[in-house]
Amino acid sequence: MRRDVFQAIADPVRRDIIDLLAKETMTINSIAEKFDVSRPAISKHLKILKECDIITIEQQGRQRFCMIQPKELIPAFLWIDQYKQLWENKLDNFENYLHQLQSKNNKHE
Amino acid sequence: MSNLENRTITIERTFNAPLALVWEAWTQPEHIASWWAPNGMKLDIVEHNFTAGGTWKFSMPMPDGNQFISEGVYTEIVPQEKIVFTADFKPMTENVEIHVHFKADGDKTNFTFHVVHETEEYCRQQEKMGIYNGWGGAFDRLEGFLDS
Repeated sequence: MRRDVFQAIADPVRRDIIDLLAKETMTINSIAEKFDVSRPAISKHLKILKECDIITIEQQGRQRFCMIQPKELIPAFLWIDQYKQLWENKLDNFENYLHQLQSKNNKHE
Repeated sequence: MSNLENRTITIERTFNAPLALVWEAWTQPEHIASWWAPNGMKLDIVEHNFTAGGTWKFSMPMPDGNQFISEGVYTEIVPQEKIVFTADFKPMTENVEIHVHFKADGDKTNFTFHVVHETEEYCRQQEKMGIYNGWGGAFDRLEGFLDS
């Protein structure tokens, strides 16, 4: 199965977990308490996030702490710019076409 | 949390062409067919009811045989000034509202383009994944097609 940032953020619960961990390091228990879904389901999401390298899980005494790896989220945010770029490309097309129209019209005059 | 600015993508341009021509090129189907699709792609104008409440539907045949459909409804039209329309680009960007403003500036035209997403969360989600899955796939196919 694909394990990258886009897989990590493809699920709403995982996006919420990322939001929580972006603010602070949390134990698995305290994360699970924030959600209505079952504890095993949360564990599964955390496992996927870990496999996608979005979080690390560290054992400290009897607690397991989850920490975000912000650098790994960068590829997703690069897409924001690329998305805008798609509209820019469309408008470039439009502008080029306008110039074609204009030079055609000028020839006819 | 969901103020308009956070869920809007804005692009401003000044076109070196008079307003009447810009308006015509943006609104006439025979012109739209020439620029809406990415370079080298064919565009079929399936519907284009350019009137408030009218629907539009464009179809781009993909090299893999699928149709890439974009469609929506014109919600507001002020001739040579403003167009508001909804747009679904299936399957990725659904239910965005696009606001286009035109303003003459001598022989040039100032142009403002807003893409408003339904909610900030939706916008964020689109930016994070939907766009990637949809546009990404479509444009990968396109790139392969153009290289061929």
